[in-house]
Amino acid sequence: MNDTSSAADDLRVIRGLMERATTYRAISAPSALLAGLLSTAAGGAVYYNNEVNPVIGRGVRPREFAILWIIVLILSASANAFFIRREANRSGRPFISSAMKLALRAILPNLLIPVAFTLWFFQTGYLGGQELELVVVWVAFYGLALLSTSLFAPRSLTILGWAFLLTSLSVPVLGDAIDNLTGDVPDTVMGVTFGLYHLVYAVATWPRKDGSQPVQTAHE
Amino acid sequence: MLDFDKLDKAIHEKGRLAIMTLLATRVNWPFQDLKSELGMSDGNLVTHLRTLHKLGFVSMTKEVRNRPLTSYALTTKGRAAFTDYLHVLEQIVKTGKK
Repeated sequence: MNDTSSAADDLRVIRGLMERATTYRAISAPSALLAGLLSTAAGGAVYYNNEVNPVIGRGVRPREFAILWIIVLILSASANAFFIRREANRSGRPFISSAMKLALRAILPNLLIPVAFTLWFFQTGYLGGQELELVVVWVAFYGLALLSTSLFAPRSLTILGWAFLLTSLSVPVLGDAIDNLTGDVPDTVMGVTFGLYHLVYAVATWPRKDGSQPVQTAHE
Repeated sequence: MLDFDKLDKAIHEKGRLAIMTLLATRVNWPFQDLKSELGMSDGNLVTHLRTLHKLGFVSMTKEVRNRPLTSYALTTKGRAAFTDYLHVLEQIVKTGKK
């Protein structure tokens, strides 16, 4: 091997190591798949009950709607933690790595407003049937949380963040059109964002059989 | 003509190059994180870190929280040496392409 190709190889190795050390994927492909499936199922169930056949004999009430999605969130977050731990164990890395701490420090401030808004919704917000406002806050701040990791996240996660943020911004404009189409704007927005977007992300980032993983999964 | 003789021999060793590369990505690295990222044995990693420390390329911080924690970081001298190393590599590649 001559000096040039050897030097080029060294540079590739250095680049690979640097990328690996500075990239952190807060949501792995399996986590996104599960979150996408759960969200699609939840959104589909609410739509079916409210618009097709009232299985529970009435429409889903605002607080029930919020509780359903909080359950989806808890299950998805638990699954994400499980997949990250499994990946960490496989590769001999610590579960709570310095990269994870960095990601949490970036993400957590973005969750304060959604948490406060959700508490308000359960106290008085539900009385005005303001699920759409709640949904817009959830979608917008989830997008912002993902974007807050963009300095060390792979590009796919940044794109996912932008998709959530732009969708939340478009709701006031497209709300009437969505309402005409499905008759249930909050449920449709939740199903499309947390369901469809996560499924697309999972497919796009799923590790390839030939080993050419698009970007490495959830670990440092 | 640039060639591999111009490269810093202390850095141009596979293990030490990997260590210097990782140290260049963050302010500091705990020993265990370095070990798990590089897949090196304790002894091997300590030997390389000791070599880099003797050369003044790497600084070491020992803390005791719940348990002893040793972290490593690039010194100014180490960062400059790493930057120079990369520069020489780039020059070799560029020269070869001409």
